[in-house]
Amino acid sequence: MILIALKMLLGDRTKYVGLLFGITFTSFLVTFAASYFGGMMTRSFALIADNPGTDVWVMDPAVVAIDRPINLPTSALSRVRSVEGVRSAVPLAVAQADARFPNGHFQSFQVIGVDDATLTGVPLMKAGATADVLRASGAVIVDGGGTSGKMETPSLVSDQWPSGQPHLDVPTRPLIVGDELLIDDTRVQVAGESMALPRFPPRPLLFTTYSTAERILLPERRRLTFVLATAAPDVDARALAARIEKATHLRARSSADFKEDTVRWMIVNSEDVGDAVTMLSIAMLVGFGVTGVMMFMFTSDNLKYYAVLSAMGASTRLLLTMILAQAALCALIGTGLGLGLCAVAGRLFTMYDFPYRMMWFAPTVGGAAVVLVSVGAAAFSMRPVLKMQPASFLTGR
Amino acid sequence: METHAEPATGPTAISCHGVTKTYGVGNAAVQALRGVDLAVRTGELLMLVGPSGCGKTTLISVLAGLLHRDAGECTVLAHDYEKMDGPETTRFRKENIGFVFQSFDLIPALTAAENAAIPLLIGGAKRRPALDKTRTILKTVGFDERMMNSLPADLSGGQQQRVAIARSLVHNPKLIVCDEPTSALDSQSGRMVMELMREFARGQDRVLVVVTHDDRILEFADRIAWMEDGRIAKVENGPVRAKVPATQS
Ligand SMILES: Nc1ncnc2c1ncn2[C@@H]1O[C@H](COP(=O)(O)OP(=O)(O)OP(=O)(O)O)[C@@H](O)[C@H]1O
Ligand SMILES: [Mg+2]
Repeated sequence: MILIALKMLLGDRTKYVGLLFGITFTSFLVTFAASYFGGMMTRSFALIADNPGTDVWVMDPAVVAIDRPINLPTSALSRVRSVEGVRSAVPLAVAQADARFPNGHFQSFQVIGVDDATLTGVPLMKAGATADVLRASGAVIVDGGGTSGKMETPSLVSDQWPSGQPHLDVPTRPLIVGDELLIDDTRVQVAGESMALPRFPPRPLLFTTYSTAERILLPERRRLTFVLATAAPDVDARALAARIEKATHLRARSSADFKEDTVRWMIVNSEDVGDAVTMLSIAMLVGFGVTGVMMFMFTSDNLKYYAVLSAMGASTRLLLTMILAQAALCALIGTGLGLGLCAVAGRLFTMYDFPYRMMWFAPTVGGAAVVLVSVGAAAFSMRPVLKMQPASFLTGR
Repeated sequence: METHAEPATGPTAISCHGVTKTYGVGNAAVQALRGVDLAVRTGELLMLVGPSGCGKTTLISVLAGLLHRDAGECTVLAHDYEKMDGPETTRFRKENIGFVFQSFDLIPALTAAENAAIPLLIGGAKRRPALDKTRTILKTVGFDERMMNSLPADLSGGQQQRVAIARSLVHNPKLIVCDEPTSALDSQSGRMVMELMREFARGQDRVLVVVTHDDRILEFADRIAWMEDGRIAKVENGPVRAKVPATQS
């Protein structure tokens, strides 16, 4: 009878296609939303992920996420260094600065000042260059940080640093090594381009040494944002973090914990995340609606035949099994199509550098949502089947 | 009015007294059955005739356990539906009753053979043997292989009706109720179908109740019950038996 049920389903092409479409759409949206969300979250802690060598991040006790830095007194560095189990500790400065391009255009950058001695925190560089380029005076490494077209300088030398008014509309090209920028009227020179993980929210990045950062940024009493500590051999990162917290009264988090803090903070506080979630929930509701209505219509239209089957002795249980089999087939095929579509869309998405990361929970959530919707809609549409008196459908009225 | 018919052949299979049924309530209430008395014996083919709206479909729905009666007594194959719960009634129908509905109600997505095999499949039979058995029966109503594998939409009204009839017989039920089984058939196929049913009714402990408007098939009846306005007006012996009225009104 299950085969019969599936034939009934496949026999009604229009509704079957509609049903599949609804389910495919839903599973696609849910999976895509989850992957997009995964991508955003991954990007939100890109700064942490860009420092895989760091075991423990030390920060002001009020810091809750990587995006909300509060600076520390310089003494924090030596205090961390003196904690037992710390193999090394280096400073990291994180700040915001507007850089002036040679055509007069301003662009906001996240400035990341790394330890002068070790250059810890500079990501992999393009064209096989190394972080050592930062050792030249006033050298900076630029990075799109998930943006595109934000680091453009005039193509013609004659348009650079014009006297008089800015040349905002002149033709431009991307920054290359040797180009100059002004940060707070201090000249810096592009010494390379890095391949940092894209950020969320996206923003151009500017890596430089800690001392250069101190020089080009507006003077602040406290410049140090994080102390990046590595653990001595056989010391667990989390245990070390606890020990640092106890000894320094600063906040210390293992990289993994800090990523989690950041994600949690983003989910609660970021308006972008909220907007995305709202939009996608609406889209998902549409998908649910389409699927639900289609499933309902399908069962309703077949009510007469279920009545016939019931008259001929099909038990309620058999009828329910049939309807669930129909829902299950649709859910299975629809989820498959949806996930496939999602993989293709994800490829395109990542190709254009949008946040997208299909983590284990994305297809799981997508699949679960689809099964829920299909079964829910089927169950809902089954109600008249359960209530019907077979005769009432047979007298032709 | 005395409407009890003379015993026909075997022991009583259906026995009803004062069965009533009202659809709806208040002003919209329609009294479809107003006290039906009827007795049918095993081995008998009873035809139910009467004007449109007199309650024929309603009566056979009650007999088949598809519809609850409001009042009166009714035993069918020694069972009283009012004393059985829903699942019991459903199981009883599955094992004992075959249907031909007024509109044939074939499932559009299934082939003729699959449609006719449904009672066997509901009964838990395996697909292959069920279809094989169904094919034999469809052959006796004049179907060839190609027609058996056609969808209802590709069959004529008469062919669809024959599928519905095959479906009512395929699982060897004890009671078959038919609502206008020959309405869409020409006289030749109508006769063929009725001969098949006649044959079936001759089997041990079988009962057929056939609603019809079709004078041409009255000759196949053991007895004919005339219905009028929710009651059995009279019952007489059909041409199959001696043309002697079973009862005087
Ligand atoms: N589900 C229903 N709800 C309300 N009234 C109904 C319903 N079914 C039948 N009736 C009414 O009950 C009466 C008997 O109907 P029934 O279908 O039994 O007649 P019938 O003898 O089979 O007629 P026909 O020859 O046209 O098929 C009619 O007046 C009809 O309008
Ligand atoms: Mg009728």
